[in-house]
Amino acid sequence: MKLFRLWLLLGLSVAICACGNGERPDTTGLKVYKVALDQSPTNLDPAQGATVYSNHLIVNAYDTLYSYKYLARPFELKPRLAESLPTVSDDGLVYTFKLKSGVRFIDDPCFADGKGREVVAQDVIYSLQRHFDPASLSQGSWVWQGRIAGLDDWQKAGSDYAQPVSGLTALDDHTLQITLVKPYPQLVHTLTMGFAGVVPREAVEKYGREFSVRPVGSGPFRVQSFDTTRAVLVRNPNYRQEPVDLAAEGYDPAIHQAYGLERIAGRSPPFVDRVEVNFIAEDTARMTSLTKGDELHAARVPSPTYDLYLSSKNPITLKPEIAAKYHMVNWTEPGFVFQTFNMDDPDFGYNDDPERNERNHALRCAIRKGFNWNERNERYYSGVGKIFPGIITPAMPEYDTELSRDSVIHDISGAKALLADAGWTPENLPELVYGIPASVLQNQYYEQFRGFMSKIGYPAEKIVVKQYATFGDISKAWKQSRLPLINKAWLLDYPDAENTLQLFYGPNRAPGSNDGNYSNPQYDAMFERAAVMQPGPERTSLYRRMNRLVINDCATITGLSRAVIIFWDKRVIAYPDRSFVGGFYFPYVDIDDT
Amino acid sequence: MEILQFALRKIIGGIPLILGVTFISFLLMVYYGPDKTYELLGKNPTAEQIESVRAELGYDQPFLQRYVTYLREIVTLDFGNSFSSGERVNSILKRTMPISLAVITPGFILGNLLGLVLALVAAYHRSGWIDKAIMGFSVVGMSISFLIVVIAFQLIFCSSYGLNWFPSRGWDVYSLSDYLRFVTVPTMATIFVALGYNTRFYRAVIVEEMGRDHVRTARAFGTPPAQLLYRSVLKNSLIPIITRIMFSIPLVVISGSLIIETYFGIPGVGKVTYDAITQGDQPILKAVVGLTAVLFVLTLLITDILYRVVDPRVSLK
Repeated sequence: MKLFRLWLLLGLSVAICACGNGERPDTTGLKVYKVALDQSPTNLDPAQGATVYSNHLIVNAYDTLYSYKYLARPFELKPRLAESLPTVSDDGLVYTFKLKSGVRFIDDPCFADGKGREVVAQDVIYSLQRHFDPASLSQGSWVWQGRIAGLDDWQKAGSDYAQPVSGLTALDDHTLQITLVKPYPQLVHTLTMGFAGVVPREAVEKYGREFSVRPVGSGPFRVQSFDTTRAVLVRNPNYRQEPVDLAAEGYDPAIHQAYGLERIAGRSPPFVDRVEVNFIAEDTARMTSLTKGDELHAARVPSPTYDLYLSSKNPITLKPEIAAKYHMVNWTEPGFVFQTFNMDDPDFGYNDDPERNERNHALRCAIRKGFNWNERNERYYSGVGKIFPGIITPAMPEYDTELSRDSVIHDISGAKALLADAGWTPENLPELVYGIPASVLQNQYYEQFRGFMSKIGYPAEKIVVKQYATFGDISKAWKQSRLPLINKAWLLDYPDAENTLQLFYGPNRAPGSNDGNYSNPQYDAMFERAAVMQPGPERTSLYRRMNRLVINDCATITGLSRAVIIFWDKRVIAYPDRSFVGGFYFPYVDIDDT
Repeated sequence: MEILQFALRKIIGGIPLILGVTFISFLLMVYYGPDKTYELLGKNPTAEQIESVRAELGYDQPFLQRYVTYLREIVTLDFGNSFSSGERVNSILKRTMPISLAVITPGFILGNLLGLVLALVAAYHRSGWIDKAIMGFSVVGMSISFLIVVIAFQLIFCSSYGLNWFPSRGWDVYSLSDYLRFVTVPTMATIFVALGYNTRFYRAVIVEEMGRDHVRTARAFGTPPAQLLYRSVLKNSLIPIITRIMFSIPLVVISGSLIIETYFGIPGVGKVTYDAITQGDQPILKAVVGLTAVLFVLTLLITDILYRVVDPRVSLK
């Protein structure tokens, strides 16, 4: 028996040594913010930071030239690594940026003496060049492709870092000049994105492919650990001192006072010593952890559970017992969910036969009338999503409140009349293959869609489901134009409707972002005119006309912007937001330890 | 010496098995697995970028060349970098496998031990109320979805709606007490589900053994129940029991438990494997499949040797 006990003890010790995390970090007296994300990022390389989840970590580990103001809505730009907003030449082609001096990368063995060196303009150039180096597997090159002089040619010539790029010049260590091929009013917005994170070349070269899990930046936090379930960020002790000017950040007492945000005024972020970002995809696990009290401070509330926590959905208000424990913020996401017809498909899209072309137009319009957005909203978004016509979402400044809502009204008799007038009968209607990634929810979307179509007389057996194992596989089918209808969500990259309008720009056809291969010369001409214009009434007018063209062509069934509700513990002083660049608010989070 | 020769023969005999398993699974991965290209592309890719990503992933190489590379990776135990995270596959496995092992092992051992004990009791009281009660419990354990069990245990033991005794997620293990805190509820959930399957299987084996002449004779001589069950029944039932336990080990080591790891936020190899399958992360899949095949061959070898240990009549030739 003694021997058995000895073996048991030995076994346990070995197990703990094998799976333990080393020495316990001493967090006594430290401020720790624990937040949950509903998906996990896979990669922390800015070149591959394509998701809002990756960006939560990337923009905290790396500096970007610009950022968004913490509290101002609609979103407003502010300098971050840059000293100020850029000076722009009269023709809108040359941007000059002044960088802050004295900003240093974190200490890391990749540097000669292990001490982080100063961030200079050449680092920004290198970070942009990496997107055009095939070895980086960049997912962000599209942001600057065809925009910066010489960058595309540099890639074609073999991405040799020894060769200069004519449009990227370091005038001195702290002055960067970017020369554009044509005006690009969204340029500064793109420099807030995780893709624009400034990386040191030494780290990329030292860590190679593993650079994606060994971030070396100059942001407010250092990534201490990162795995499939959690990332731990610790405060960068050398982060620059920049006291918060609440008024400049867009503080509005009517909105923000309730959250205690005035307590961060005049202090330099980051305010917490440690951020633990937990990746919890399962709704029940996330809410169990949040409501437990000591495991999580903040999390997004899953829409199927709204009835448990909300006393009203319009307006959104909390039940008293929930309101006693948590702050809540809700907003409508800037992106949207929609369905686009593949206009290359002769059964639904463009057809060489003018008569059939007209009939296809009627068919698309009938399908759109048959789609019941209200029911989709009630069933899958708890009725709190915002339904809107067209492709300019309600969160955009260019959103047209006067636009007719006919295109989002469920009209069964109208749909039937359109079909009958165009000569469509249950016998001659084409088979519609409805592609989905394999999941229960997507199957439910399909069944609901089939139900909608049945009501307008589309035979159920002609709405056929095709399942794909992964999102990558269905994305391949879209890019290869193999499906007649494309169901997707689009998350905006920056607060400018150009980001959704480019989804219908002809030259962006598949495999580009215009998966539906929409092609309308009038639309394209307007897009090209608007693309080089600064924001203003003239550009807004063009945007709205383009929006109406897409609606009139019945090229898409759109749209709905989902609601996002976040709860956070009342001990936490914060205003969480992930509309565009996820996690940019982390440095401003504080914990009330009284 | 006999065992050494036997081991060598078995290992050499296992090579075709490894080649077969790896070939078929690699074939499935390449031709039927997810295409990672389109997950690694930006929002507005060009045809050239698509080709460039395919080349970076090695998709443009002939199948046989890729398979030979795979075999070389198994021999050198160097599986390159994950397509998704870029991290070295060896580092990922080294970090996650011990965690999965530490999470699953207590449930695995206790599930089998308790299953054996309950099976012995049930078989001894065959057709009596004790047998029916144990079998009823087993059927309940087998019938409830593992997912439901995990969620229910989490709510009962880890949430503010229940007892709130244990953490609902995480793996901050630095000491024995931490370990017990984080492993208890996952272990209970594992046992609850595994116990049903184990008890039913072991009971069937033991009932068969109890019907044999030597057991009847021992009973007739008045052998006490505990001694009868241990000496005459259990020892003679060990061959199928060992087979079941041993063949579960490779899956426990390599696959971990996806649901446990996902719901309890445990960074083990189960979640990594699942993500690799759904995302088409071939370097990780190749490592998991290859190592599982090798482990199965070793398990076969150890199982055969154990057969000889528990029953000297078994020949190693």
